[in-house]
Amino acid sequence: MANLISINLLAIFRDKVFHGILAIAVIFLLIPSISSLSMRQVTELSITLSLSLLSVILLLLSVSLGATSLWKDIERRYTYSVLSLPMERSAYLIGKFIAIALFLLLTALVLGAVTCLVVWLSSGIYPPERPILWSALILCVIFSALKYIVLIAYSFLFSTVSTSFFLPVFGTISVFMAGNATQQVYDYVHSPAAKALSPLLKHAASFFYYLLPNFSAFDLQINAIYAIPLSLKGVALPFIYFCIYTPLLIVVAAIIFARREMK
Amino acid sequence: MNVIEFTEITKVFRGKKGFIVNALKSMSLQVAKGEVFGFLGPNGAGKSTAIKILLGLIRSTAGSARIMGVDVNECSARLSVGYLPENPSFYDFLTGEEYLRFVGRSFGMDPSLLNSAGDRILRRLDLWEARKRPIRGYSKGMVQRLGLAQTLIHDPAVYILDEPMSGLDPIGRALVKEIIRELKELGKTVFFSTHITADVEAVCDRVGVINKGTLLTVDTVASILQRGVEGYVVQRFLPDGTTDRQLVPKSDLHTFIEQSIASRWSIERIEPKRKDIEAFFLDIVAVEQRHETQG
Amino acid sequence: MMPKAREQKYYITFLMLAACYSLVVIALADYMRNKPFLERLGYIPSVNTLKVFAADHKQLLSASLMLKVQIYFGGLIEKAENKLQVPADYPAMSRTIDAALKLDPYNMDGYYFAQAILAWDVGKPDLANTFLEYGMKYRTWDWQLPFFAGFNYAYFLKDYGKAAREYQRAAELSGNEMFINLAGRYMQRSGKTEMAITYLGMMAKSARQLSMKRTLLTRQTAFLQVLKIEKARDTFFQHYAKLPTSLDDLVHAGYLPVLPRDPYGGTFFIKNDGSIDSTSGFAFAAVKK
Repeated sequence: MANLISINLLAIFRDKVFHGILAIAVIFLLIPSISSLSMRQVTELSITLSLSLLSVILLLLSVSLGATSLWKDIERRYTYSVLSLPMERSAYLIGKFIAIALFLLLTALVLGAVTCLVVWLSSGIYPPERPILWSALILCVIFSALKYIVLIAYSFLFSTVSTSFFLPVFGTISVFMAGNATQQVYDYVHSPAAKALSPLLKHAASFFYYLLPNFSAFDLQINAIYAIPLSLKGVALPFIYFCIYTPLLIVVAAIIFARREMK
Repeated sequence: MNVIEFTEITKVFRGKKGFIVNALKSMSLQVAKGEVFGFLGPNGAGKSTAIKILLGLIRSTAGSARIMGVDVNECSARLSVGYLPENPSFYDFLTGEEYLRFVGRSFGMDPSLLNSAGDRILRRLDLWEARKRPIRGYSKGMVQRLGLAQTLIHDPAVYILDEPMSGLDPIGRALVKEIIRELKELGKTVFFSTHITADVEAVCDRVGVINKGTLLTVDTVASILQRGVEGYVVQRFLPDGTTDRQLVPKSDLHTFIEQSIASRWSIERIEPKRKDIEAFFLDIVAVEQRHETQG
Repeated sequence: MMPKAREQKYYITFLMLAACYSLVVIALADYMRNKPFLERLGYIPSVNTLKVFAADHKQLLSASLMLKVQIYFGGLIEKAENKLQVPADYPAMSRTIDAALKLDPYNMDGYYFAQAILAWDVGKPDLANTFLEYGMKYRTWDWQLPFFAGFNYAYFLKDYGKAAREYQRAAELSGNEMFINLAGRYMQRSGKTEMAITYLGMMAKSARQLSMKRTLLTRQTAFLQVLKIEKARDTFFQHYAKLPTSLDDLVHAGYLPVLPRDPYGGTFFIKNDGSIDSTSGFAFAAVKK
């Protein structure tokens, strides 16, 4: 397993796509100067911009790495040489997943450190109204990474059933959008504003709410930006949710992948 | 115990729109320890399908397959196998040396053993100079040689090679044949597929001919060659320097030699005139097709 | 390929995880439902920043912001009716509406909502009018904006000149004579309650959202009661040439069969100047200003 993880990490580090995406991270350098344009909330704006940029980079990484990794191995016929080695298909799949997840976490931590630096610099320009809640900021970065790891698990699930990269790439993007909307849609259809909707539609909305990932649960940006203390429940529940939901997706992916024929 | 054993293996591919291909039809085949077995057949005969079933890449529709007595559905069956895929492709972001390390570690090799074996094999396959370059920059022949190197790295008992000679220049082909002969001397079992009959003649002990998913015949190369003798070309000369070359039917050889000696001819050379494996192969396939059109 | 036994192990793992999942997702859903409103409404970065990042999705973003406010408000009303004390964050709502309108100045939802909430519940008709006048620059065909603005001028701000001008504009745009009549009527102080009733009825008619419609109709009901009391008070004044000291006087004197009920749960009372008001201030107690 360690062998597979290290090989896949090496693959990511030597990939051109990764270099291109990391180039976007240069934008972080501009954030302090952009933030200083805000009249009232220099620090808040710098946190907002940093977290959004970090989120965009992680999204690009998880789609480009997660959705194409398995597809690329099959397309370039690496699977013949690798899967004929004495290893379980599930080990191959999980090794690959862990490598990408680790890489994403690593990127998040590095960019999170950059974020802290940027925020610290901005708060030097104009002292914030409320003291910065560093713990919320760091947790927000970590939870953002967890969110995208769930997304990668989805991209793996799509990759195991598809032979082209269309389903993994567009499926992953759709899950990302749906996952961010589920809470709002659920709230809406169960609010008095939607009394007129058909019950069937409401049941369907509830069904998808429980089936699709709930990315709003991982969103701690408000706490980070406005220094609102986090509740234990608000951190523990999404984390437990992550710890169950991700393996669930990977187990399903492993079952499908084990049945797949390498023609 | 047979090293490789197919028992009534059947494989049906179901394509889209109900399209069905019977890639293998109840094929049974055994390969013994120390044998070099050539799996001969035209393109699309089912050779690769059989090999992929052995490696667990695809699942047989019916029947079973074993390597060293272990069912091929167990991933431990592959522990004793070195496999070279057809037109192989390896993680091209790695260097040749790194790839061999990766394969060796997958087989749980000891690191120091892996280092020494890696160096030896890279030199043997003429990849030593290129070992620190990414595979991305390798020529087709180099990739094929690396493919062979990664089957040798963990010194397995069984070698399964899918079209090992394709994509190689004459020097490369000679190298592969040499390596197969060396493996035979070491008592290893080699199972390789090819559509080139000359390869079979050069290195195989036994050969199986497959066409359209059916195993048509299995025989030793020696016996095929023996059966294929049609006559002899005899070259003789008289003391005065007159030379003469005659084609003698198999049954007449004895009398012809006696007569020659009686007439003071000296025999210079007797060469068997025989059908080669290619002719044998074409015959079998032709017979099969005749049966089909008649049936 | 997997042998049977291992495949089974995977299915068992799957089932176990699925069971754990169903437990945790229910807990999570529960937590998410009860998350404080402020967090739900979210933080809105400055409008100029939003404009840059929205790229060509300004209208979409604007619509989603409005949707957020409406869901938030819908939940608030429901909680208020269930007598739950939830402080409403009107500044956050107003900020969100502002951002939505700056992103898409044509978004009618924004104006409608600004009028319905800012003018009545927040008590900032002038702010509502700023929004409406901004909107009129864009929605040049829309009679509703001047109609709302005219009402605010007449009813809340008591600027009858401006009110008449806005109604004139609404009448021109809609081609509806009624607005001209309203414009005239609203010059009179006495027509105030009737004006509110007409206005609320019209707004309720065009309200598509159920929670909004209910809010408006509740308020209309309250004003119908007020109108009843006002009529009784006027008759009382004609007979006695003085104002009643309390509403009970009107019931005792037989001008009102019973004391009307305030749908907001308050009690009606008569002010020293004779105008009718309620202890509820015509808003649910929980809905703080």
